[in-house]
Amino acid sequence: MSTDLGTNRIDGYAKALLEVANAEGTLDEVEDELFRFARSVEASDSLRNVLTDEQIPAGKRQAIVEDLLGAKATPTTTQLVSLVVGSGRGRDLPAIIDRLVERAAATKQRAVAEVRSAVPLTDDQQERLAAALANATGKQVELKVVVDPSVLGGLVATVGDTVIDGTVRSRLDQVKSLL
Amino acid sequence: MPMSATLGAIGLLAAEEDPTRTHSWIFPEGSEILWGTLSFLVVAFLLWKFALPQGKQMMKARTARIQAQLDEAAAAKAGAEEAATSIRAAKGDIDAERQRMLADADAQAARLLSDGRARLEQEVAELMAKAESEIDSVQGRLQSEVQAEVAELAARATEQVVGQSLDDELQQQLVEDFIARVGAAS
Repeated sequence: MSTDLGTNRIDGYAKALLEVANAEGTLDEVEDELFRFARSVEASDSLRNVLTDEQIPAGKRQAIVEDLLGAKATPTTTQLVSLVVGSGRGRDLPAIIDRLVERAAATKQRAVAEVRSAVPLTDDQQERLAAALANATGKQVELKVVVDPSVLGGLVATVGDTVIDGTVRSRLDQVKSLL
Repeated sequence: MPMSATLGAIGLLAAEEDPTRTHSWIFPEGSEILWGTLSFLVVAFLLWKFALPQGKQMMKARTARIQAQLDEAAAAKAGAEEAATSIRAAKGDIDAERQRMLADADAQAARLLSDGRARLEQEVAELMAKAESEIDSVQGRLQSEVQAEVAELAARATEQVVGQSLDDELQQQLVEDFIARVGAAS
């Protein structure tokens, strides 16, 4: 029951944010910025703690968001994140953004392909990778690239429940398990 | 001169001097002997007739009484002997009972000792088995920990070496390989 309520709430926020971004006409850019911010929140315990700490006044948490994103993201992205954090849903922010990205991809008849790479990918590499993933999964995909040094090298792509792992990290883990 | 002749001469001299006395210093006068004999016979007869039966009766009664006393004593003796036999038998029973109790006590002590020894041996065996099991467990755990530690160190060392060897060219090569592999999989 509470899980359904949480899911519905996340879906409701995602839908609202998507409509705002659509209305502003910056969906692709906002979607991309939100996705990267969500990954940053997931990767940083201190940032997550600050954004979810109920002891910190909402205005102060929103000010922290504006300081972080103000110069790096579009005003729409900053305002949307500030809205979620100010309403006390900072804990659900990554899930809301992921749902927003899924919804945005669905409107374009596409599936989200989250790709983690140790180094940034060029546009050409992203196009060729999107084409390869589309052929491999049978779906048109929308790439969301996350630069993650912890993978050491190579890529890992997640499309829905399908994971294609070609990272040096996973090979090291395999070697470690054999030891 | 013999002593009797001397005494006889003295008696004759005295009789001649005193008429109330007999002529013999040892034998009475004839009439006295007669009357004395008759009197003796009468007394003897009376004694035989009356006193002797009573004496016999008294002796018989006394004999019977003595016999009764003897019988009583014999009966008492027999009773005493029977009691002595009974006491000896009882003493024998007591001895036997004591022996039996001692034997029971010895058997019980031996059984307790045996049980205690067996239990002790079992406990020692269980403790030994438990100790060996714990030693094996600790040994296995330590071995696993050492293996895990070695694996961790080896993985870190490998990661460090691999991380240092992953330059831009190699990173790009890995990306291209991945794209090619995913494309080939379709």
